[in-house]
Amino acid sequence: MSETLSSPLSPAAGDGPAASAPLTLSMQGALNRALGEVLEDNPKALIFGEDVGRLGGVFRITDGLQARFGAERVFDTPLAESGILGMSVGLAMAGFHPIPEVQFDGFAYPAVNQIVSQIGRMNYRSRGALPMPVTLRVPSFGGIRAPELHGESLESLFVHVPGLKVVSPADPHQAYHLLRLAGSMPDPVIFMEPKARYWQKGPVDPADAGALEGARIARPGRHLTLIAWGAMVARCLQVAELAAEDGIEVEVLDLRWLSPIDADGLAESASRTRRAVVVHEAPRSSGLGAEIAALVTERCFNTLKAPVERVTGFDVPYPSGDLEDEYIPNIDRILFGIQRVLEHRRG
Amino acid sequence: MAELSFPLPDLGEGLIEATILEWLVAEGDQVERNQPLVEVETTKSAVELPSPQAGTVVKVHGEAGSVIAVGDPLIVFEVPDDTAGIVGTVPAEKAPARRVRLSAVLDDD
Repeated sequence: MSETLSSPLSPAAGDGPAASAPLTLSMQGALNRALGEVLEDNPKALIFGEDVGRLGGVFRITDGLQARFGAERVFDTPLAESGILGMSVGLAMAGFHPIPEVQFDGFAYPAVNQIVSQIGRMNYRSRGALPMPVTLRVPSFGGIRAPELHGESLESLFVHVPGLKVVSPADPHQAYHLLRLAGSMPDPVIFMEPKARYWQKGPVDPADAGALEGARIARPGRHLTLIAWGAMVARCLQVAELAAEDGIEVEVLDLRWLSPIDADGLAESASRTRRAVVVHEAPRSSGLGAEIAALVTERCFNTLKAPVERVTGFDVPYPSGDLEDEYIPNIDRILFGIQRVLEHRRG
Repeated sequence: MAELSFPLPDLGEGLIEATILEWLVAEGDQVERNQPLVEVETTKSAVELPSPQAGTVVKVHGEAGSVIAVGDPLIVFEVPDDTAGIVGTVPAEKAPARRVRLSAVLDDD
C-alpha cells in the first residue's frame, strides 16, 4: 500500500449542483454518499470489511466505492473481525484513517479485545503519540427479521469503554452528517447504524448540517421528554403524534451521541418537561437507560414529577425474527410507560 | 432498480451440471424469496431450486432439456433499490396503530 494514495476523483467532483439543495435519500444512500466524500477528502481514509469491496456490502452501504477509489482503498477482508480491527490498529498507528465495517452487531464480539484493549486506550497509553482515528461502522439493533446475532444492541458494551466515542443516527440527514464528522475525527468512533431504518427515505441537506454535537430535539413538547436513539427515534416520533391526540405534548430527544453522553441536553429537556421516559431495544438491566435515568435524576431530582421510566427490551438474548415484535418496545409499551409517569403522584 | 444474475449453484459434492426439467417461473413474473424457480435433475436427484431473493424475472437461461453447468447463469432478476440485503427483510412501513390511550390531569405546579 502506497503512502501517497490519491483519490481518482478531482476534489470538486463529489459536490455538483445537488449540494446546494436538499436531496431525498435513503439512509443507505446517505451513508454511501458520506463515505465517498470522506474518501475524497482524506487520501489516508481506507474502507475494508467483509464483502464491502466487490459486493458493495450486504446492505449496499459501500456500493460502487471500490470501482471509484480502487481496491487499495476499498477492499474485502477474510471473515475475521479480530483481524479487521487488529489491522485497523496497525493502520491507524501508521497514519491511516481506517473505516472498517463489522457486518452485523453480533459479529463485533470476536473483535472486542482489539476494540477494548487497543483501540480505546492506545491514545492514552502512548500519551497522545498514537491516536486511533478508527471509524467502525456497525449495522446495529433489530427489526429486520434476521437470525441470531444480527439484532444486537451493543451500546452499553461500548459506552463503558473509556476512549471510545459512540454515535447512532436516526434518519438519513443525521446519518450523512454524523458519518462525515466521525470520518474526520482523530478519535475512535463506533458508528451504530440502525439497520431497520436503512431503506426509509428522507431529506438530506448536504450544505446545512445543523449542530452535530450532543443530543437533538427531534420534536419539541412541554409535558414529557421521550429519550431515544437509532431506530427508536422514529417510533418515538410516532408515539408523540399519538400522544398529541390525547392532549399530551411529548418532546422527543434524539440522543445521537451515546458516548460522550449529552448530560446537559438531557437535563435541559427534562427540567423543562419535568417528566422523562427513555426507550431502547437493549436489555433493561444495566442498559444505557439506567445511566440516563441516573443522570436525569441527579440533575433534576427536585424538578421531576415522577421517576424516570424505562421502556426497553427484556433481559434475554435477542430473540429470533418471529418474536422480535414482542421484544422491541412497541407503540403501546411506550404509551404505557408515558401513562405510568403521568399517573405518578408523590406520596 | 438493479439486475442480479443467479448462477446454477453446486447442488451436491462433485456435481458439475444439471438438466432443466421444468421452469416454474417465466420472464416477467414477480417472485418471492424461497419460491421454487425451476426443477432440475442431476446425476443424483431431481430438485427444485428456491429463489435466493425477491424480484422480477427478466431472463431465464435454457429450457426443458437444456444442460446448465454449475456456475453458469441460470436466471436474472430485476430488484428494486429497497430490496433487503442477503440477510433479513425490509421492515414494512405501517400506519402507527395503538390500543393504549393516555389520560392525565396535567397540573402546572
